[in-house]
Amino acid sequence: MRGVIGESLTPLLLTRFSQAFGTYVGPGTIVIGRDPRRSGEMVRQAVIAGLLSTGCRVVDIGMCPVPTIQLLVRHLKALGGVAITASHNPAEWNALKFIGGDGLFLSGDNAREMLDIYHQGEYTKVPGTEMRGLENLPGATDRHIKTIIDALGALPATVRKLRVVLDACNGAGSVVGPRLLEALGAEVIAINVTPDGSFPRPAEPLPENLGALSAAVKEHRADIGFAQDMDADRLAIVSDEGIPIGEDYTLVLAALRVLNHQTGSVVANLSSTSVLQAVADRFNSRLFLTKIGEVNVTQEMQRQNAVVGGEGNGGVIYPQINFARDSLVGMGLVLHLLAETGQTITQLVDGLPRFSMLKDKLPCPSHKIGAVLRMLRTEYATYPMDLRDGVKVQLPKAWFLVRGSNTEPIIRVISEAQTDMEVQEVLEEVVSKVKRCLAA
Amino acid sequence: MKPLKIGITGVRGVVGETFTPELAVGFSQAFGTYLNSGRILVCRDTRPSGPMVQASVTAGLLAAGCEVIDLGVCPTTSLQLAVSWLKAEGGIAITAGHNPSQWNALKFVRNDGLYLNSIQAEELLDIFHQGEFTKAASDRMKSSVDKQDAITYHIERLRETFDVELIAAANLKVAVDCCNGACSKLMPQWLRELGCEVLAINDDPDSPFPHRPEPKPETMAQLRAVVKAGQAEIGFAHDADGERVGIVNERGEPLSEELTFALATRIRLAENPGTVVTNVSTTSAIEEIASAYGSNVIRTPVGQAYISESMIEHRAVIGGEGSGGVSVPELHPTHDGAAAVALILQGLASSRKPVSELVGELPQLTMLKHNVAVEPNRLYSVLQNFRLAVEDEQLTIDVTDGIKVVLPHGWIHVRASNTESMIRIIAESRDPMNAQNLLNWVRDRLTK
Repeated sequence: MRGVIGESLTPLLLTRFSQAFGTYVGPGTIVIGRDPRRSGEMVRQAVIAGLLSTGCRVVDIGMCPVPTIQLLVRHLKALGGVAITASHNPAEWNALKFIGGDGLFLSGDNAREMLDIYHQGEYTKVPGTEMRGLENLPGATDRHIKTIIDALGALPATVRKLRVVLDACNGAGSVVGPRLLEALGAEVIAINVTPDGSFPRPAEPLPENLGALSAAVKEHRADIGFAQDMDADRLAIVSDEGIPIGEDYTLVLAALRVLNHQTGSVVANLSSTSVLQAVADRFNSRLFLTKIGEVNVTQEMQRQNAVVGGEGNGGVIYPQINFARDSLVGMGLVLHLLAETGQTITQLVDGLPRFSMLKDKLPCPSHKIGAVLRMLRTEYATYPMDLRDGVKVQLPKAWFLVRGSNTEPIIRVISEAQTDMEVQEVLEEVVSKVKRCLAA
Repeated sequence: MKPLKIGITGVRGVVGETFTPELAVGFSQAFGTYLNSGRILVCRDTRPSGPMVQASVTAGLLAAGCEVIDLGVCPTTSLQLAVSWLKAEGGIAITAGHNPSQWNALKFVRNDGLYLNSIQAEELLDIFHQGEFTKAASDRMKSSVDKQDAITYHIERLRETFDVELIAAANLKVAVDCCNGACSKLMPQWLRELGCEVLAINDDPDSPFPHRPEPKPETMAQLRAVVKAGQAEIGFAHDADGERVGIVNERGEPLSEELTFALATRIRLAENPGTVVTNVSTTSAIEEIASAYGSNVIRTPVGQAYISESMIEHRAVIGGEGSGGVSVPELHPTHDGAAAVALILQGLASSRKPVSELVGELPQLTMLKHNVAVEPNRLYSVLQNFRLAVEDEQLTIDVTDGIKVVLPHGWIHVRASNTESMIRIIAESRDPMNAQNLLNWVRDRLTK
């Protein structure tokens, strides 16, 4: 449930959605937390009002990463949680993310059931005499850090401490990232760790947004640079040479470290890089690909009892700690990989097969998406195809995926091949076919 | 029909039925819009629904671009005084005063610390119904809520207003029942500052109301026992937001709530004669007391907003209502339990007489009150029919608020409640039998 503050996202709407959620999960404990957006306080108050009115006990853990809320839902055996964050959207946006008692985001049938309650407008109304209060629970991020250290341990003693630069984008990770890195035993240089609602850079940790981090890594001769998004679920890495290695590689490196220690399968979504397949193959692990979306990945991970999973946008899920995309867990895993292998990020990346990925998007009204996908299915009918989320086609030397966006009227095209030239060719070919189809 | 009243005293209803978070959010957005954003104070009493309502109010105000200052749990008067102290544009007090625990309400305070008057309340209601609220963009929205201690400031102001040394010199022993309400912190502290030995009961704001939060003789059993057992000179009972006061005398006998304002008026006029403001349904003992001190009485419709504005207009020396609310203008022209208590203790200290004796000197009248529940959709037609019946009998009526008729041996007053869906009937006469006859006279005509 997402919108722009001062326009569509009103306190009334937020209260009603929270009433619907409270009605859906029933009168029990609900954990809430928020990112540092300026509108966060207003949204938080509206959410508290809606939840209390349905008889929930609201435990507010304050400003914190989304995965901290997910972790606390399970630790406190709560009936659910509400994360107040619009993750990578610009400052004027905000949103509610609803979390079930298992710590996963509501999805599919559950989300539809809640939406039905919202539309019906018949919310549980607890008598004024039986209403429960609001509890503030400090120290949730300390608990998150402790859970990570308990699972991974501090970094092994090496000749010298790893030097890390962290760019938290003034986001929810600002309050916890530096403490985690110190607890792991790294030397920390932190930038953009003032969670005052300002955005020092676009929130998505894409290579083009990481100039300040790259410069800081070079200036401080750091071993690695980490960049988080506003709600600290996604993580991107800058190498020891100050080069963003691409969000895809976060999951790849995390998986490398996990598979070094544990045997089991890996789950990612359909748009993940083929490097991940190569890493899984190296350990004789199976890689399962799912539809795009965190909850699809986590559900498949539970089915496959996977040891690690995540998404190509920098979301690492390590179920031993948290069934959530968790940038803090990601940092812990990658630093352990560096310490254990004694290699630099550049060396680790060079040691992996090289692929080239390109992404594009085209404006596309939602009613035309079907026609585009049908066209592609016919045009590429002779190649292996995956139709679970748009159309993914495996060509001899490349793959491509075309799918409609869930959030905007655009169509996304992603392709990956072993060389820049090959991927360029495939992308151009697919994009021109899509354009022709849209023009027809 | 479920009770919900939107009117001059604010928005009031039963939580879990009509008083929803959506309603509180909407009215707060409307209020923030009405005051052109700006700084708004918020306080609440101790009802279990308080945190829910406060979150709704804060969300609505922030969304309308207001700066919200949270005064926490405190009497409504503390908020009203803090409005000018903190240079705020207004405030919202979250309290249903004397209503039972399942109720809650929003009371809207403007930048002079008074409640919205009836015209302003209409304007607010129009904005609410139009639903065109100011929507602050995220970069204009306040990102946090500050807290302030309005109770300490309230006590400072009380100390400047009353003769603390006089009261302290009397070494009074005072019992107080805070009903676990909003004055649980302020009242015992204020009494101690007045040098009293304090026997406080029900002063835990985290506990539920021990009885209906309306200071009337039938809710004062505990206080009576404490006064007797502790041999206190006087006992005070308060409602949930510390506005009204009920009294138990030194013998442990509860006084009618009508006597609080009558006693306060007598004490005030003895020191400082001048205009008295009260509503049309308050005891006519007020006129008798006033005339003894060469003072006059102004009668207003029922509701604090009317009393406050009339007090300012007529430069009154005291205002109040028969429900136990007393306003001392040097503090603020609005009802304050702490001010009423100080005034009465000042009277005890300066006269050196026991409460029973002071009360014995007041005019002895019998007032009977009776409430008739009426469905909201019939309320005003029932009243209109009553008015027609009275007019048929060629009687002179006062329609300041409802219908008041002065009859040979007393008077009667019939009006719609501001806060609940009922008709309130009051009859007063010097003779108890006559009072009962007057009440029956009204009932006969109402049922027609």
